Amino acid sequence: MPILQPASLQAEDLRGVWVIFLATALVVAAFVYALIFYALIRWRDRGQAKMPPQFKQNAPLEIIGVIIPLLIVIGLFYITYVREVANDALHANPYATVDVKAFRWSWTFSYPGHNVSITGTPQAPPELVLPANKLTQINLYSADIDHSFWIPAFLFKRDALPGFPNHFDLTPNKIGVYPGNCSEFCGLDHALMTFTVRVVPAADFERWLSTHATGSLSSGAFAPQNATIARRANNVIVRLKRVIVSLSNDPEQRPKDASRRARRP
Amino acid sequence: MITWLTTTNHKRIGILYMATTGVFFVIAGLLALVIRLQLAQPNETLVSASAFNQLFTLHGTAMIFLVIAPFGFGLANYLIPLQIGAPDMAFPRLNALGVWLFIISGLVVFSGAFAAGGAAFAGWTAFAPLSGIQISTGAGEDLWIIGLLLNAIATIIVAINFITTILLYRAPGMTMWRMPVFTWEMLATALMILMAFPALAAVLFELLIDRHYGGHFFDPAQGGNVVLYQHLFWFFGHPEVYVMILPYFGVVSEIIAVFSGKPIFGYVGLVLSAFAIAGLSMSVWAHHMFTTGVVANAFFSAMSFLIAVPTGVKFWNWIGTMWGGRIRLTTPMLFIIGFLLNFLIGGITGVMIASPPIDYHAEDSYFIVAHMHYVLGGGSLFAVLGAVYFWWPKMFGVKLSETLGKWNFWTMFVAFNVVFLPMHFMGLEGMPRRVYTYAATGDLPWLNLVSTIGALLMALSVMLFILNVILSSVILSSVRHGERVVEGRHGQLPDDPWGGCNSLEWATSCPPPEFNFTALPPIRSERPTWDLNHVSR
Repeated sequence: MPILQPASLQAEDLRGVWVIFLATALVVAAFVYALIFYALIRWRDRGQAKMPPQFKQNAPLEIIGVIIPLLIVIGLFYITYVREVANDALHANPYATVDVKAFRWSWTFSYPGHNVSITGTPQAPPELVLPANKLTQINLYSADIDHSFWIPAFLFKRDALPGFPNHFDLTPNKIGVYPGNCSEFCGLDHALMTFTVRVVPAADFERWLSTHATGSLSSGAFAPQNATIARRANNVIVRLKRVIVSLSNDPEQRPKDASRRARRP
Repeated sequence: MITWLTTTNHKRIGILYMATTGVFFVIAGLLALVIRLQLAQPNETLVSASAFNQLFTLHGTAMIFLVIAPFGFGLANYLIPLQIGAPDMAFPRLNALGVWLFIISGLVVFSGAFAAGGAAFAGWTAFAPLSGIQISTGAGEDLWIIGLLLNAIATIIVAINFITTILLYRAPGMTMWRMPVFTWEMLATALMILMAFPALAAVLFELLIDRHYGGHFFDPAQGGNVVLYQHLFWFFGHPEVYVMILPYFGVVSEIIAVFSGKPIFGYVGLVLSAFAIAGLSMSVWAHHMFTTGVVANAFFSAMSFLIAVPTGVKFWNWIGTMWGGRIRLTTPMLFIIGFLLNFLIGGITGVMIASPPIDYHAEDSYFIVAHMHYVLGGGSLFAVLGAVYFWWPKMFGVKLSETLGKWNFWTMFVAFNVVFLPMHFMGLEGMPRRVYTYAATGDLPWLNLVSTIGALLMALSVMLFILNVILSSVILSSVRHGERVVEGRHGQLPDDPWGGCNSLEWATSCPPPEFNFTALPPIRSERPTWDLNHVSR
């Protein structure tokens, strides 16, 4: 069963939280189930005439019953807090930036400064191309109503809300193609509001960007090319382009205070 | 018939409530069955996307507002005056207004199905702007809003009545600290209702103004705020979750003590934990909004974790009640044990998703669907059935069949887990909630198929329950006509048909006379009936 198999650096940390919580959950559930079944078997009515002892309370036991769960949740909260702060922090210098715009019922992925924009439809979901082992910052917008951008392989989602852009970092670290979807119910074709994420080596990503930098695309088909020399030449051009672009970049396009946490509107 | 329509008697009103929730439960259950059939395999075309969205909207709305919560109000209506030794509720006519508003609210919500464009399809949460006039153009959404406004008013009325009755109408000797745990839990529930339901009424009014009177509360194009809707809705929505569980914590506490042959363990702790939950429930609403990126996740996460402590106290005390007792596995007790086993899973997954790093994956996935059904289905609904089996003889003077009841329990317990356990894995594999179809990838096809088979088994189990009810009414009518004698006195059950009952409702006849008690036993502890029946000790 392909669950909790992280395909990004951030997801590996998130998976750590899942593992700790699942382990705690199993221990607690096993303990409580054991108590319940022990009581049921040990003290099941077998027609004994003797009245059971009519005790009503036991102060030390009851205090233990408060303290143990309290200690458990304090521990769990500590783990949660540390990992959440780390996860929500934004890197100041992302390798790539993608603007994701959700609309009923598909997505537009555009790469600011590269003149690449991919818009899908419910019938032809778009593809989000990301470089492997490089940090990509996602700027998430909604064109109409509440949506949510979920990539299960990254164990992560964030809501796309009209008027409240969100920003977060992704560092995919496994080459491959992963499904993604809208997880906030948004009407008729919510179920078809899917997309795929294609994680490719950084060099291929650069080449893909440059070959598609001609304008908007209706579909983001990723066509790998094997001409190494052409690719290397291309990479030089791409890097030059990046420098020019970064010099001419409109500052309004980027999150203003990118080193701070992303939760300000 | 006319006497039922015009009644102000709390017992009849309670039965009206519970019978109505029974009808709504069957309808909402059938909707769920269609949902499960549509999802039995990928790319199924049993219903259209539009119909599917209406189905789950009505299913959720009905189960929450018309079944699980109001059954608790009905049961409390029936039991509170009996448990505190009062002749009726404080405001009997207001009580009648409440039940009829509730029944009408349900009819209004369901009438949306006949409106042009069909019923509301924006989900039971009706997030704006999805529920706005530009998208939800039909009258179905308006009927949904108006129905729930009536429901909110009915619920506030019932809460005022509970609080007044509990504080002012207790019999001599029935001090607050001698009240049964169920009555205590209802007091906490009523206080939560008074805090939470005005927020629901407000947000529904704002939605209505947005839709028809040129308001822009939630319209981002006009400077409205979509997050405001979520805040207002969940400020109501989370306490509502506890409105749907605290009454059943009370039910569990009552039944588990009787069939363990012991007083409830840690009475004071159980009462205090109810108020701790009620208080904390007001400060956790934004844990439904961890993925919005605009709320203080750490605060709401911490408060949500804390709720695990009073809930843990309850489990501890219920086990303490069984400990060293003499446990009789009657049908009501089986359902309560089912409650413990299922609710524990729902409670533990609840602690998990109180952690934002986990919620980032789980939110709005089938993991959440599994979690909430383990809490409200495996928890509340099992307690509902336990309560029906337990108090049926008190209400109607005849027991439901124990044999059928045990079949009912075992089929329900197995079916419930077959339906909902696989949903955890669907969610982890990436299946979002509220989708009418899904891709045939990974394990989703077989997990969904298993879940649907479980749903069919569950339908069978509900039929066993209905059969049991019909059978008992047949027995009842033959008793009334003197053709038959049921255990105990001629044609009548003893006051305490289960033996070993604690609270005051078991010290009067089955069913009780119109004003409940011809004579009250002395009340010297929280278990007056036990004291009465064990005088020699």
